[in-house]
Amino acid sequence: MTARLFVLKTPENQGVVDVAEGDPSISVVPVGPYFSISAPSTIVIDRRATGCRHAVWYSAVAGLDQSVITQHDKDALRVEAR
Amino acid sequence: MSEQELEVVKPEHRVHGVDHAAFPTFNPAATVRFYRDILKFPVVHSICAAGWGPEDHPDFIHFFFDIGNDDRIAFFYYFGLEPFGDQSAPGDAWARLTPDTPLFFKNSRHLAIHVNDEEDLLEYRKRLDASEWPVEMQVTHETIESIYTHDPNGYMVEITRSLRPVTPEEDFDAVLTIDALVDVFEAGEPTLDALLTRKAELIVARAEQWESAQLPIRDSELIP
Repeated sequence: MTARLFVLKTPENQGVVDVAEGDPSISVVPVGPYFSISAPSTIVIDRRATGCRHAVWYSAVAGLDQSVITQHDKDALRVEAR
Repeated sequence: MSEQELEVVKPEHRVHGVDHAAFPTFNPAATVRFYRDILKFPVVHSICAAGWGPEDHPDFIHFFFDIGNDDRIAFFYYFGLEPFGDQSAPGDAWARLTPDTPLFFKNSRHLAIHVNDEEDLLEYRKRLDASEWPVEMQVTHETIESIYTHDPNGYMVEITRSLRPVTPEEDFDAVLTIDALVDVFEAGEPTLDALLTRKAELIVARAEQWESAQLPIRDSELIP
């Protein structure tokens, strides 16, 4: 099962997209004004690596495709296939 | 060209901002100090009225302050009227809530007034900090920066500036979010998880619509 989330293209979300693109297990492709971020079963984004502050970090996820957020705190965002 | 053809077609969205937002006050003197003397919002209109039809309606003053852009904040002061509810409970002049009401809920209803830049935001911060109603919070939410205080009536007032314009991507996203919200609310199980799942379906379904809407802009950008 694939884990997939969407992130809107905004300057503030770029850190999330950059971290995802730097992870060889994660695929990032544009879909409309969003990035589709997917991985075979689990996506983990380290918050500190993204440089995102509070408000952006907690509002970065725009959509969940057959997936569920299992962690979204000051350390990481973890999305797993449902 | 016939007269009919010359007729201007009015847009669907025809409103122009806030004419006035009105609130009751039990302390008009402090209200005037806060808005006129501290924030320097000009008094632009007032109505003195002896009752208002019904026998039990008190005499009152309805007074207005200019909040820029021809918009106004207005107050009602009713002569002889005492505040309603338990004055130690969370709330404001208009209503007192139950004692267990969380602060985030109480503060969710507030008025945010726009300023153009940091200099103006800091000017209002300076005015408030020198008053009985100092700034309680200054927050940068990445795309906006705001200061907050409560006016003499307990109403939360925010003064805010944009750090950048809202993008077409964000407008598109807002439309999808609200469509998804209505869908999951009406389905009877409103959660953020359900909303994000519904939104993913809408993102995929409407991606093409976004792409085609962008094409004319890209073409025009190619014209030297």
